[in-house]
Amino acid sequence: MTARLIMKMAVAEVRPVTDTVTVYRFEHPRRPHLPAFNPGAHVDVHLPDGKVRQYSLCGDPDNDTAYEIAVKREDEGRGASRWLHENLRVGSVIPVSAPRNNFPLADGARRHVFIAGGIGITPILAMVTHLARRDLPFELHFCARSARTAPFAASLKHLCGPERLFAYFSDSSSQAAARLDVAEILSKVEPGTHVYCCGPQRLTETVRAAAVHWPEGSVHFEVFKPTLDENFNPEPFDVKLASTGEVLRIPANKSALEVLRGHGIALPASCELGLCGSCACGYREGVVIHRDSVLDLTARQNQMMLCVSRARVSVTLDI
Amino acid sequence: MNIQAKPVGASGLRTKWSDGRLLHIHIAPAAAYEMEELAEANLIAGRGIEGDRYFLGTGTYSPKPDAREVTLFEMEVLDALARNDPPLQASPIKLEPEDHRRNLTVAGVPLDHLVGKRFRVGDTILVGGRLNFPCKYLEELLGMPVYLPLYNRSGLNCRIEKGGVIRRGDKIEPLDDR
Repeated sequence: MTARLIMKMAVAEVRPVTDTVTVYRFEHPRRPHLPAFNPGAHVDVHLPDGKVRQYSLCGDPDNDTAYEIAVKREDEGRGASRWLHENLRVGSVIPVSAPRNNFPLADGARRHVFIAGGIGITPILAMVTHLARRDLPFELHFCARSARTAPFAASLKHLCGPERLFAYFSDSSSQAAARLDVAEILSKVEPGTHVYCCGPQRLTETVRAAAVHWPEGSVHFEVFKPTLDENFNPEPFDVKLASTGEVLRIPANKSALEVLRGHGIALPASCELGLCGSCACGYREGVVIHRDSVLDLTARQNQMMLCVSRARVSVTLDI
Repeated sequence: MNIQAKPVGASGLRTKWSDGRLLHIHIAPAAAYEMEELAEANLIAGRGIEGDRYFLGTGTYSPKPDAREVTLFEMEVLDALARNDPPLQASPIKLEPEDHRRNLTVAGVPLDHLVGKRFRVGDTILVGGRLNFPCKYLEELLGMPVYLPLYNRSGLNCRIEKGGVIRRGDKIEPLDDR
């Protein structure tokens, strides 16, 4: 876990690329040059309500004057994409972290095979931009519902050319009738070839299953988990149980949920990532450090998620 | 009462300087956020700089109690890093005043000598708390190896005895200790 600088960046461009996907270009009001990034990197975008979301950088990695992210509006999602779509305009200022890369191009690879689904194309767009410019060998398999909903379809076509881009659209009206056959693509292991996949869970699972015979470390996935702020340094704190007055010490490396569980206090819990809302607990008397993605500001006044949220010094729980 | 003549410490020596200046004022709203430069700032006694993370309780070290209401850093250290003095690393390190993440960048003030001492910044009065210690966290944020180069010269954490507005260019003057 590396701390990363958070910069208040200005939206320099808002560019819809499909009905639901919009590209936002961020520039720094004072720095002409930004911390550099390698293809596959992502940034954290900090929303005013405290949500932190990761977005892959889809712009040109050789350009250090701006960061570009592509956001698909998911009305059924957890609210961040919708907020960005509704609120970001040219000139808006929003905190964006310096980039981090969990999905880099493999060093020393002789060839790269990309398998992308829908909005999962974003990190891969930066990767193929990098490779195409240097004339390095790759191929891209890109599937989407239809040509119309496939983000960056035109730029990919231009960038990759017909010999390196294989597009698959699942709607019947599309002329590209071919179906993506992951098993076929990955049937033969080619030494020196690395495979990269980003897309919906069904796609990543299919690729994982089809690549079991590939050498370890040659197949890469970009999976965004709900992120906890990587800069957060947990501190120990005390939890007091309102019913009994018992005080439990929560060490820095354990959650309140874990410690309560260890003391035989069974609490409902599920994801333990601050996402599902199962372990919400009432609290009083204490300054809570909320780190979940479910409670809104009002709920945070008297509830906390025991799996990820912590407290300064101490908190009294309604248990 | 002539406190000028009152000696301080067993040695009887006092820390004096004459040309102390406040060069830059920086604050950040929360941990890891970039520092933002201000032309003037409001110091609140016993609390911090209005708008800064250690005033708001949102700093990396906010949960650790300490005199950290306002932090100071010597411009002379930035100059020394820029000429790789002492030569601790392969090449000079160019740090801007916003990079060291202390609030006030000062010149002509011997911060290392001000632990427990009172001094004036403009119309305000600060009291030296403890010397700041470099942290790996800063290294990560900057992506630069500054931990060792900042050892023993990472600034001074202070408490605010008398608040008020400070401005870039303010004089920084010694006060005799009570």
